[in-house]
Amino acid sequence: MPKPVLNTTNLFIAFQYLLTRKKQSILATLGVMLGVTTFIVMVNFMTGVNDFLDDAVFNGSPDIIVGATPDGKKKKQNFGTAIHALAKVEEIDHFLENDQNVSSFAHQIISPAILISTTAQLPGSINGVFPLEERKMVDLDRRLLSGKGFKSLLQGHTILLGVSLAKRLEVVVGDEVNMLLSNGKNMKLEVSGIFSFGITTIDNVRTYVSAKTLQKLMHQENKITNIHVKLKNRDDVALKTVLSENFKAITTQDWKDSNKTIVIGNKVRDILTWSVSFALLLVAGFGIYNILNITVIQKRKDIAVLKTIGYAARDIVFIFLIQSIIIGLLGAVFGTSLGYLISYIISTTPLDTSDFIIVETYPINFKLSYYILGFLFGVITTVLAGYFPSKKASRVDPVTIIRGI
Amino acid sequence: MILEGTHINKYFYDPDKHQVLKDNSLQISEGELVSIYGESGSGKSTLLYILSTLDTDFEGQLFIQGQDIKKLDSTALTDFRNKHIGFVYQFHYLLPEFNVLQNVMLPALKLREKSRVAIQQDALALLDEVGIAEYAHRPSYKLSGGQQQRVAIARALINDPTLIIADEPTGNLDQKNTDIVFKLLQNITENRGKTVLIATHNPKIYKNSTRTIEMIDGSIRL
Repeated sequence: MPKPVLNTTNLFIAFQYLLTRKKQSILATLGVMLGVTTFIVMVNFMTGVNDFLDDAVFNGSPDIIVGATPDGKKKKQNFGTAIHALAKVEEIDHFLENDQNVSSFAHQIISPAILISTTAQLPGSINGVFPLEERKMVDLDRRLLSGKGFKSLLQGHTILLGVSLAKRLEVVVGDEVNMLLSNGKNMKLEVSGIFSFGITTIDNVRTYVSAKTLQKLMHQENKITNIHVKLKNRDDVALKTVLSENFKAITTQDWKDSNKTIVIGNKVRDILTWSVSFALLLVAGFGIYNILNITVIQKRKDIAVLKTIGYAARDIVFIFLIQSIIIGLLGAVFGTSLGYLISYIISTTPLDTSDFIIVETYPINFKLSYYILGFLFGVITTVLAGYFPSKKASRVDPVTIIRGI
Repeated sequence: MILEGTHINKYFYDPDKHQVLKDNSLQISEGELVSIYGESGSGKSTLLYILSTLDTDFEGQLFIQGQDIKKLDSTALTDFRNKHIGFVYQFHYLLPEFNVLQNVMLPALKLREKSRVAIQQDALALLDEVGIAEYAHRPSYKLSGGQQQRVAIARALINDPTLIIADEPTGNLDQKNTDIVFKLLQNITENRGKTVLIATHNPKIYKNSTRTIEMIDGSIRL
């Protein structure tokens, strides 16, 4: 029965080797630390940005939008009333109710309008919503800066404004704005809430009013222009194709179509994070490989002696491998700690944003799994880097070494 | 009988096939101080490595304390060496990362038949015997060549092996240290009843051994 290689004697020898090469050991540990730290900070930051954008954009917009296709022939229409009302709404509703992947859906009537306050006139995109349905689609309460959410629209003569739009109109909750539609009709609405999605392109134009009010003003009683669908599994957008196959005269758009730049941005950030971290850990790994390799070459005589006095090949492998494991563990512990510290500092750093996003500090994602991953990354790299020199050490033949003198 | 080798042949293949050892058989009993001597290239070192179990790539049979060496796998062989064979080389080969005492303790720490404290006591006693006790806690590389060789002898004895193998143990020492080291090796056989096998060029050693084996051109001269 062979004795276990993990024993105090082998550990003692390994530690002695590490301690007599303090500088190299510290350098190797720093190398691993740097790799792990970079990984942690990059992942925390990049996924922080991704999550922020996901949250702001994708939660503020539906996963699939169903709209009407403008029919080819130009119908005679009264000037300014051109909205493309959706046909066969009930059938589509029925279809959506029976789809497994649909989490909820809501009707909307969307129309451009001019909003007029005492100081400014600005274009806006008016979303006529059914407040009780829409509440299930968009978590507006979390986005509210002041006032009330969708429920306040039930009164009929109220409007919810994006924060940038409200600022430019110079209105606050309780003020009045005049909504001028393209058919010439106008209506005074009370601002009942101001929200922010953190994305200027949304906060600049989006407004919510009651769908019923809008329908009445536009003389489009019971007509809607869009159905917004939220999916249970957002990555599965098969529904889009199924819908367009089953219903004519509708257009369907999924979140990937609507947010191509953000989707690509997320991908680029992911690739960047993984490749840079991988490259750094690779360099750290090569550093350890190098140090151990040189040690093994320098220590061939010592290894030969250890072998003659009773240390088996597996003891030698353990003695050298445990050195890189210790370096890896230390580097990973320091790396994750430093990574957390730097990420924390970044997360409290004020961010002077451009117009694109509105956020006070850098978004950071402190997910525990990234720390575990970074830790494992560091340890696994060093173990791999240490394995080959250790194997090499175990193959040292005492006879050739002793004869070689 | 502590060691028995029969019909030992050994070939080198680099650069060409070349027979280094030619059908050597020998027997060594307990308490003997046996010297192998011969010119460089006579095969005495090669024979010594085979008899010390470091080289298992040979033809023939080798029994040490009744154990057929060829029947042990490499791990079992290392354990066997650890327990039954002590080594002394021309160059002392102490490990510079460890102090003198730790160097002596290393084989016993591997064997793990005794507690660390007991091993340390044994090691100190052996260092006292070879006259190095006062340097026990010094880094091993700070000792002189002669002193280091005496530490190496203490290390070879720590597991109380039956066989001590020494490869040119005095080859690198001055006359005074040669005398000290040889005296220690003689004491090992006389006082402890161990078997010592020495490969040497030194006439003073092989003339004072209980038995000498001369190697000529790969064969033991009878």
